Amino acid sequence: MRRSLVLACLLVSAAATAASRAPQAVGAPGKRAVDTCTACHHTLAEPRLKAPAAFADADIHRLQGVTCAGCHGGDPTATDAKAAMDPKRGFVGKLARSAIPEMCGSCHSDAAFMLRYSPNIPTDQLAQYRTSRHGLALAKGDENVAVCSSCHGAHGILPPSDARSPVYPTRIVETCGACHGNTALMTRYGLKGTELADYERSVHYAALTRKNDLSAPTCNDCHGSHGATPPGVSSVSNVCGTCHVTQRERFDLSPHKDAFAALEQPACESCHSNHAITSPDDRLVGVGAGQVCGECHSAGDTGATVAAAISGELTQIHERLAAAEARVRKAERAGMLMDDAQVKIEEANQGVVLARVEIHSVDPLRVQSEAKKVLDGAGVADTLAAAAEAEIRFRRTGLFISLGVIALAMVALILKIRAMEKEKL
Amino acid sequence: MAIGEKLWQALDERYQLAPLVEFATHKEVPQHRHSWAYYFGGLTLFFFGVQIATGILLLLYYRPTSEAAFESVQFIVTRVPFGWLVRSIHSWSANLMILAAFLHMFSVYLLGAYGKPRELTWWSGIALLGLAMGFGFSGYLLPWNELSFFATRIGTDMVSKLPLAGHWLLKLLRGGEEVTGATLTRFFGIHVAVLPMITTALLGLHLALIQRQGMHVPERLADEAKQRRPLRFVPNFVLREAVVWLLGLGVLAALAAFFPWELGSKADPFASAPAGIKPEWYFLFMFEVLKLLPAHILGIEGELVGLAGFALAGLVWVLVPVLDRGSAHGRRSRLFLVIGWLALAYLVSFTALSLMGVFQ
Repeated sequence: MRRSLVLACLLVSAAATAASRAPQAVGAPGKRAVDTCTACHHTLAEPRLKAPAAFADADIHRLQGVTCAGCHGGDPTATDAKAAMDPKRGFVGKLARSAIPEMCGSCHSDAAFMLRYSPNIPTDQLAQYRTSRHGLALAKGDENVAVCSSCHGAHGILPPSDARSPVYPTRIVETCGACHGNTALMTRYGLKGTELADYERSVHYAALTRKNDLSAPTCNDCHGSHGATPPGVSSVSNVCGTCHVTQRERFDLSPHKDAFAALEQPACESCHSNHAITSPDDRLVGVGAGQVCGECHSAGDTGATVAAAISGELTQIHERLAAAEARVRKAERAGMLMDDAQVKIEEANQGVVLARVEIHSVDPLRVQSEAKKVLDGAGVADTLAAAAEAEIRFRRTGLFISLGVIALAMVALILKIRAMEKEKL
Repeated sequence: MAIGEKLWQALDERYQLAPLVEFATHKEVPQHRHSWAYYFGGLTLFFFGVQIATGILLLLYYRPTSEAAFESVQFIVTRVPFGWLVRSIHSWSANLMILAAFLHMFSVYLLGAYGKPRELTWWSGIALLGLAMGFGFSGYLLPWNELSFFATRIGTDMVSKLPLAGHWLLKLLRGGEEVTGATLTRFFGIHVAVLPMITTALLGLHLALIQRQGMHVPERLADEAKQRRPLRFVPNFVLREAVVWLLGLGVLAALAAFFPWELGSKADPFASAPAGIKPEWYFLFMFEVLKLLPAHILGIEGELVGLAGFALAGLVWVLVPVLDRGSAHGRRSRLFLVIGWLALAYLVSFTALSLMGVFQ
């Protein structure tokens, strides 16, 4: 009796894990899988049954030796359909949605097994998924939430580094948007469903899709991939700070850090928004209409005075730098080589970036310190442009004098020739 | 006795210079309605002289390596006193020299001055134009900027299309498979030593032939030339030529001061070629046609057919004193006159259309 119980437990366990697979289900890594399933399914007329075989050709699993039986069970070597899809040989057919994470995890969470494919391959996807909003809802029986195949696809799964993969950085928005862009569906979860549309207006989306900057954040960079969850109020600045390190450091130095925490206000989001983060504009600093400081401060208070001081510094450096740039460009158009001035303009532009970073400290002295470097750089560029203008005037004066001398010489020669030829006549 | 006179006597005693002076003072230049055409050769010579003078000045600072070439030209135009002017004059004068040479060649052709006994003058002139274009092609690379680098890559690539020796010639020109620092050093050597040496010799021959044979008078203008009093070469023609040279100098100074020759950005062999790369304007008439040709013509590579066509046309142009038999007797063929006008129309129109960006 005891032996039978142990045997039954082992059988149940085997059915649920990779151990249940037929020995031929998973071949050697790097060697394309060969099975009778795709050969047979290719010939089927019904698209539902034919399509998986067609997709399987480029599937990363198939390329790494995993046959259809690796997920669906059965015997991939049997030539008889009944034998191949015999439940006694572990055939499970189409997997229930709720069973997908565990099935994928049966391999992907097995560190020893996954080591065969890559020494650094992560194996915590299932563990993360269980902590995610998706995983938690699925555990409660909600079958509408995303499972592995919702994002990675079911057949024809490509590695995330493949630009055709639905989880390639530039395609993530579209993949998440399949559900999160559905306002009716999202309303059921208390979400607005406009997050995707907002994100598509953001500076991050522009960097990702127009500049093809794959380091620009998309959905999973802030929310996590397998452990997808909305960042809480306290962790928003940590999420942004993973890339915007210096800004976060300056924010942590500022009086805003404690004040925002006390008010349970999100840090970065309060001024920059979350999904629809547009390109920052220095004109946002202040308490006037459309300026972000005015959300908490009002004219006359300390915050408004500090904002005005910072805004004044920023306005000054923009004006001086723009004037210097225009003067340098004018000299360049006149044919002068202004490489030295361009270096100074470039340095000053970098200084503007640093001054903008210092805005997060809300310390006018820190902003002023960086602004001074910008003004110095713009001043040198302006001086070089003035020297170039003087040089242009000198050249033109020299040219007119030279042309005058040449013209005089020509006239003198012509008169001499005429005089000579008159004499002859 | 004045010092000058003493010096002259001393030199004449030793080198018998009096016959030369005698020749110069008695040499005459015929006058007719097209005698303005006699000044283009001298104008070309003037620009060549400017090239030598400014080229020597540039040599004092230029460094012919891929690491230092661009920086040395940048140094010349920004730090060396009047370096910008010398470099700008060198670049503009190169272009004006080739323009003057083309004008000289077409005026000679259209007035039928190539016929016997001036065949050798025509051939040496054609060779000098080829050398001038060689100066332009080799000098274009020397600043080692982006445009010159890629234009040289395209230009030298065309050589590889030639059958049999194409690849060998490409390697000879480039000093390897690619345009590198070795190409720059090679082009520099060609630009400042090989071409000047050959040019000086050919120019000497060209000028000696002109002095020996005198100016050509088109047969239909012979009566007019007889009726009008010829100009004495010294001093009348020389002084008139000096006025033309001064005019050329004025144009050159204005162009150099108002439109300083751009330097652009340093060549990066690993960067992709920027859009709209073109050779110098005097190669555009060939470049645009080669681009317009289909990839294959009768199974042969289009560019190869184009190059063969240009080679054939060039050969006809060179051999015109032989092919146009009547030119030896002053009776030039109407066919060759039409060919000349068509060639001029083709050159001017394709160059202008290319500069206007019509072919892009």
